[in-house]
Amino acid sequence: MAKRKSDPELFLPLTPAMFHILLALADRERHGYHIMQEVDERTEGKVRLGPGTLYGSIKRMLANGMVEETDERPDPDMDDERRRYYRLTDFGYRVARAEAERLAGLVKTARSKKLLSKA
Amino acid sequence: MTANNSKLPEKRVHPLSLRLYWFLLLAYPLSFRREYAPHMAQVFRDCYRAEKINRGLPGVSRLILRTLLDLMRTAPKEHLENLGKDHSVMNNLRKDALALLGCIGIIVAAFLLLSYGRRHEVSSILFFGYALDALVTAGIVGNLIVFLLVRTTRLNPLRTALWTLLIVNGVLLLVTVIIGSRVGGQFRLGSVIVGYLVSFAFWFSLHWIWAKTKSDGQVAVSGGP
Repeated sequence: MAKRKSDPELFLPLTPAMFHILLALADRERHGYHIMQEVDERTEGKVRLGPGTLYGSIKRMLANGMVEETDERPDPDMDDERRRYYRLTDFGYRVARAEAERLAGLVKTARSKKLLSKA
Repeated sequence: MTANNSKLPEKRVHPLSLRLYWFLLLAYPLSFRREYAPHMAQVFRDCYRAEKINRGLPGVSRLILRTLLDLMRTAPKEHLENLGKDHSVMNNLRKDALALLGCIGIIVAAFLLLSYGRRHEVSSILFFGYALDALVTAGIVGNLIVFLLVRTTRLNPLRTALWTLLIVNGVLLLVTVIIGSRVGGQFRLGSVIVGYLVSFAFWFSLHWIWAKTKSDGQVAVSGGP
């Protein structure tokens, strides 16, 4: 198990939902609805996670040690304490980074094949 | 949903939509529901509010459709994952199949005994017919209700079995007495009452033994090294 956790490459490629969740948690801890909102805003409504996809992915990421629950509330006065907040673990950060590098490699290949114009 | 509305004003969500969503969550495995159903319902409620405020009825309709599609895609996935993880579905199926076979065996044995009694006019076995009628009827109806209640609610299984079997046997006894007293002839009230008492005692004992063996098993597992 320790070996599995130490190697982010074993979890690649991530599902789009998992990668979006990791991206949403990259800068701060969020609860389920905040994650959905962040993904929705960032992708301009192109990706919308349903509750089943969201919590199914969170369940798997908790089991794999990519995210963890946190008791900290960004703004306790403004929030419902029944909500569960999640944050990225170090391992989750490494997995997200490995996936981003993999995708960047694909983009580089697409550019070299003239499928994409250079930014 | 684009608006930042995690703290939207408390506006009453259409209760039917939320209740329906709670009902649909039954499609997920029990372990998943226990952990995430309240949070999924909370997220649905938040999305519902946001769509209603930002996009009105069309937005709400799209949300419901999207949520249904999401449920249809993810619920089987969770079940499959459970199946591969701890074989709980297969274990339950095996237990259910054994219980079903046991019930069929008891009913077949009882019918054979009764037909033997009728052929040879053994009065004590003929008397057994009253108990058999009650056992079969109350067994099928009562156990079906208990099965559905235990699967769809969090009620205590033994208590559910007690009250369900009590009510089912009582209602069936009442119906039999009403019909029997009008038909008259060979109707014997005492035998019918004894029959339903036997039926209740038999089925409830089975549930009690089942619950006891299950709890003993759990203690043994949790108490292990």
